[in-house]
Amino acid sequence: MTRLRPILLVCVALALWEAVVRMASGNLLISSPTAVAIYVSENAALLGRATLETSGNAVWGFVWGNLAAVLLGSLITVFPRSERTVSALALLVFCVPLIASGPILRVLFGPGAGPQITLAALAVYYTTLLALLVGLRAVSQTWTDLMQVYGRGRISTLIRVRARASLPYLFVGLQISAPAAFLGAMIGEFTGAERGLGVLTLRAMRGLDTDATWTLALLAAAIAMAAYALIGWLGQHLVGYRPVILLSASSAPTNGNVWRRLTEIALITVLVLVLWQLSMDAFDLNRFFAKRPGDVWVFLMDADNRGTLFAALAETLSFAAPGYLAGLGLGAGLAALLVLSPALSQATMPVAVALRAIPIITTAPLLVLAFGRGLVGTMVVVAVMIFFPTFVACQQGLRQTSGQIVDLFKSYGAGRWRLLRAAQIPAMLPAFFASARMAVPAALLAVTTVEWLATGKGIGVLMAMTASTSNYNMLWSCVAILAVVAVTTYAAITALERLVLRIYASEQVS
Amino acid sequence: MTGIDINCDRITKRFGETEAVAPISVTLAAGQTTALVGPSGCGKSTILRMMAGLDVPDSGTITLGDEPPKTLARRGALAMAFQDPSLLPWRTVRANIALGAELARKPADDVDALIHLVGLSGFADHRPAELSGGMRQRTAIARSLISAPDVLLLDEPFGAVDAMTRRRLNTDLPPLWRSRGATTVLVTHSVQEAVLLSDRVLVLSPRPARLVEDIPVDLPGPRDNTCVDTAAFNALTRTVFAALEKNA
Repeated sequence: MTRLRPILLVCVALALWEAVVRMASGNLLISSPTAVAIYVSENAALLGRATLETSGNAVWGFVWGNLAAVLLGSLITVFPRSERTVSALALLVFCVPLIASGPILRVLFGPGAGPQITLAALAVYYTTLLALLVGLRAVSQTWTDLMQVYGRGRISTLIRVRARASLPYLFVGLQISAPAAFLGAMIGEFTGAERGLGVLTLRAMRGLDTDATWTLALLAAAIAMAAYALIGWLGQHLVGYRPVILLSASSAPTNGNVWRRLTEIALITVLVLVLWQLSMDAFDLNRFFAKRPGDVWVFLMDADNRGTLFAALAETLSFAAPGYLAGLGLGAGLAALLVLSPALSQATMPVAVALRAIPIITTAPLLVLAFGRGLVGTMVVVAVMIFFPTFVACQQGLRQTSGQIVDLFKSYGAGRWRLLRAAQIPAMLPAFFASARMAVPAALLAVTTVEWLATGKGIGVLMAMTASTSNYNMLWSCVAILAVVAVTTYAAITALERLVLRIYASEQVS
Repeated sequence: MTGIDINCDRITKRFGETEAVAPISVTLAAGQTTALVGPSGCGKSTILRMMAGLDVPDSGTITLGDEPPKTLARRGALAMAFQDPSLLPWRTVRANIALGAELARKPADDVDALIHLVGLSGFADHRPAELSGGMRQRTAIARSLISAPDVLLLDEPFGAVDAMTRRRLNTDLPPLWRSRGATTVLVTHSVQEAVLLSDRVLVLSPRPARLVEDIPVDLPGPRDNTCVDTAAFNALTRTVFAALEKNA
């Protein structure tokens, strides 16, 4: 009976869904399960070909992105002095919204699968890198001492100790990044591919085909969740142990000297500009579409260009900020409330973990259909995109409260509310801030994608228009400004995090 | 394996504002077991880590034979056991012991013999999670012996096991390292253990560590737990305690 329960639950949910749609007959926003089933049966071949195309690109991107993560992680471990520079570059690339780099990749690669695979790789590498770095560092001091006593260096320690010790963490990273690979491949398809689920989604949205939109969103979500479950299962069977990790940024100690940090930031900025210029020159890319830093600078010196760009940016941020704050607040708030009811918390955790796996952007068309193309619709997409990762991380953070501290409160007869306020919420703060940082690029991705697909507002649509009119100076300026906004916001949250954690979790602040 | 002298010549160490080790000069004879005792936090482990090349003295030199510690380490002629057995959880007992030989680039021919000697027959294919604390520590000691080191450094190797297990390890394991002739340095909090296991006890002052007493232990061997009831043993432990109390 216990085994049949999930199947029964799914049947009940489908029946309820069907009943709701039939009662709301004439409502064009919702498709019923039977309508979805009919669409699937009538278009099985088309859906099959598109699924294969998108999945194939996602798999290649997943492989390349994770290989890059392993190489970067190994580099940082063997040459610890490279950590700040490598992490900063990795973060910068991660902060560029996929939908922004998509059109540029499309121009560089042409009509093939290159952009989809590259975007899938870009979508996964940072998540895996963060998890892997936690794992590579999660070795006891005596293990590394042991290697040194035998005269072995960092490479030997990496191969013999750190690599194996990091496997459980690597699998967590791979698992979380698997749905992101699918998301990256679909976004690549939004930007001008010929085949794939992303292309069908665009067609369905533009043709206001509700059944197709629902079918494609559900199919994408199901595939992403299946990839998440498959890698989780593999990890469980291959390494057995699943650590709880916060996807926090570099733990490299920061020097307190303000001037030194400013110099570091300046040097990394120069390095980014030099790499940008050199990568364009090295491949001798045509200046018409492959703009260099100098081209963007000259373009932005024109007041009209700046005005257009910043007006679009302001519009985008005015949509993103409320969604970001709502997603964070709801995720953390609900996690904190649920901890007051441990049974409910236990029950919701697996559902939330599963829903976190869904690349929300693939369901954005549904949310826009339901909530409209204005502020509310965009805000909902951004908030939903951020809600699940925050909720899961905060629930895990709340569980990090030391058992002895909980016992101490209980020994004084303290109630759950007092325990929550005085012990559990402070223990949750590192997880909350880790989520808040990772949510910045996610929020920008969500808002620009919705603008690109549906709302016709903000920097997302400016990019769509400039891509179609070959205004590459504006397109590159959009990408650069979005990267600057994301990195600056990320850095501001990191600074706030350090201030708060200095009080509440001083052992975590170097 | 042949033991070699360990020479510490006016070594000092500071950690920030804290002076951990005041100038210390001492020579530990080849093949002997020397115990370092002193109050908690006095710098015993720091001295041992400098002998292992894990920390570098701020001034003065340490030579093992006529080589610096790191050179000896690269030759695979140095081994160390820690209070935490620090076994790799994904390796079996046999593979953990063999790791010592692999890292020292030496053949691992003696693994099964060592497993038998440390009393782990039947557990060779078990992983650390399936072993008791005492069994893990036996595995760690066997790992340090498999490479037949010239210098064996033991940092409170029995500090984390219960009293009964510690008593048994105190009699079972020392004959193994003594028979192999390594120059052995043992850091311990237990005065009885220091006297029971060593040929010489060096008493250190509270931080910063200075050498305050050098007490030879001339008890007859082989020593077992019955030794602790003898008058000679008790006289030696009283001498060590007196040195510790005088400098507390």
